[in-house]
Amino acid sequence: MAFFRKKPSFAGDGLVLFMDVHDAMQAEKVLSRAGYLVKLVAPPPELRRGCDLAVAINLVEQPGIERVLKEKEVGYVRVTPLKAGTEGILEIVKITDFGDWTMVKAANMKLTFAKKSGVIVNTSGGGCPDIPQLHAELIDKPLTEAPRPRDVGFTLCALMLDRALEECLRLWRGDETE
Amino acid sequence: MMLIAGTVPAKELPLTLTTARTEDESLVVDGQLIPCTQGTTATISAALATTSYLGRDAPQILLAGDIGQGKGSRQIYEYLIEHIAELSPEVLVLHYWLPDMRQTKRLCEAVNKCPRRPLMIADAASMYSAKAAGLASEFDIFTPDATEMAFLADPKVTHPAYINRHLFDTDITRTPRLAEAAYHDNSAAKLLLVKGAIDYIINDGNIVATITEPDIPALEAIGGTGDTITGLVAALAYAGLELAQAAIIAARANRSVGQLAKVTPATKVRQVIARYPDVFRENLYQRGSTWHWKE
Repeated sequence: MAFFRKKPSFAGDGLVLFMDVHDAMQAEKVLSRAGYLVKLVAPPPELRRGCDLAVAINLVEQPGIERVLKEKEVGYVRVTPLKAGTEGILEIVKITDFGDWTMVKAANMKLTFAKKSGVIVNTSGGGCPDIPQLHAELIDKPLTEAPRPRDVGFTLCALMLDRALEECLRLWRGDETE
Repeated sequence: MMLIAGTVPAKELPLTLTTARTEDESLVVDGQLIPCTQGTTATISAALATTSYLGRDAPQILLAGDIGQGKGSRQIYEYLIEHIAELSPEVLVLHYWLPDMRQTKRLCEAVNKCPRRPLMIADAASMYSAKAAGLASEFDIFTPDATEMAFLADPKVTHPAYINRHLFDTDITRTPRLAEAAYHDNSAAKLLLVKGAIDYIINDGNIVATITEPDIPALEAIGGTGDTITGLVAALAYAGLELAQAAIIAARANRSVGQLAKVTPATKVRQVIARYPDVFRENLYQRGSTWHWKE
């Protein structure tokens, strides 16, 4: 008697788009091997770029997924939310002056550093499981020596924390505002 | 029983259902010390401080190690889906985990089959997945901050990283309008405790209270001070307080503890949590069968 294990059903809220079918199939294979729940799907016409095959993903895992694709050298066009009309990832940040400290907020993530020393004193906001780990890894580190959340985190919360860190680094180095 | 479920940044911690205690600003979970920092541990610590003061039993906790790859999150979802009816908590708090709309839907279906429906509270990414799955109205309490309120009000997005820039580019005073949009789209829990320079308590779309004093702006920078509010409101609701009253006291307690601890943006959440017993002794009193906050 043969036994079949039913693959868990999956309906992602994000898509990885590809120029050709081979890349899409390769991506599905390497992402599945890396432990991500993904599915080959036909992208809706308004999102189609290149080929008519895409990989559906859990959008919150976008940074970790893009890292795997780059490490495995699988070409892709871009990652996009599935819902029509969604804008791109939030690019703007807000800066709060606390006197001896500066806080930068990117979407739901905040990072605060001491103005004199450039040391990270706090991170706050978010809710994905890599955030408490990143909190522990970033606190008490100089901005210039802190690990980049985009390199060690896996989720969109981590990506937003990276945006905040990037802006803090710019402020610390005294770069001109664009 | 109150049950708090969420991931912790202890990669090797297996799925664990237990109670915890605090020791030297850490949580002790099955003999393992887990630092009390931003996230589920801050919520548990605040809930423990509150239940201890109110003379209620300590929360049960369902934890799994997860640093972002989702394995621990999936273990928690599956365990809850399978066992929530037999666990039958009076209060269920869902906290940090990898948002998964399909699993959240399955969990809500399992909860609806419970003989006694628990009070459902969500914060952090469990709130994200509830909203993204279109199941926000299945929940009794959400505790968003200003940006998360904008996320709830944006019908198109499944994570705050994608919110419309015009919604992000607003301040806390826009909360009433954002809440109206969120309730209209079924993207809000029955009660919202919106944390910010002004704390808004909104019940079924109606603002029932705003809290502005004491004004402690540094709290926003301290990782975990939003998580503690979730622990406070959950424990107060578990002690029998009416939900709006529990939310009002939670918001006031968090501000007062910030004042008492003389917080700065560099203060750590464990230093804040350590002062809750002092704040409760000073402000929280019992009259009749319920608890009140000294005006």
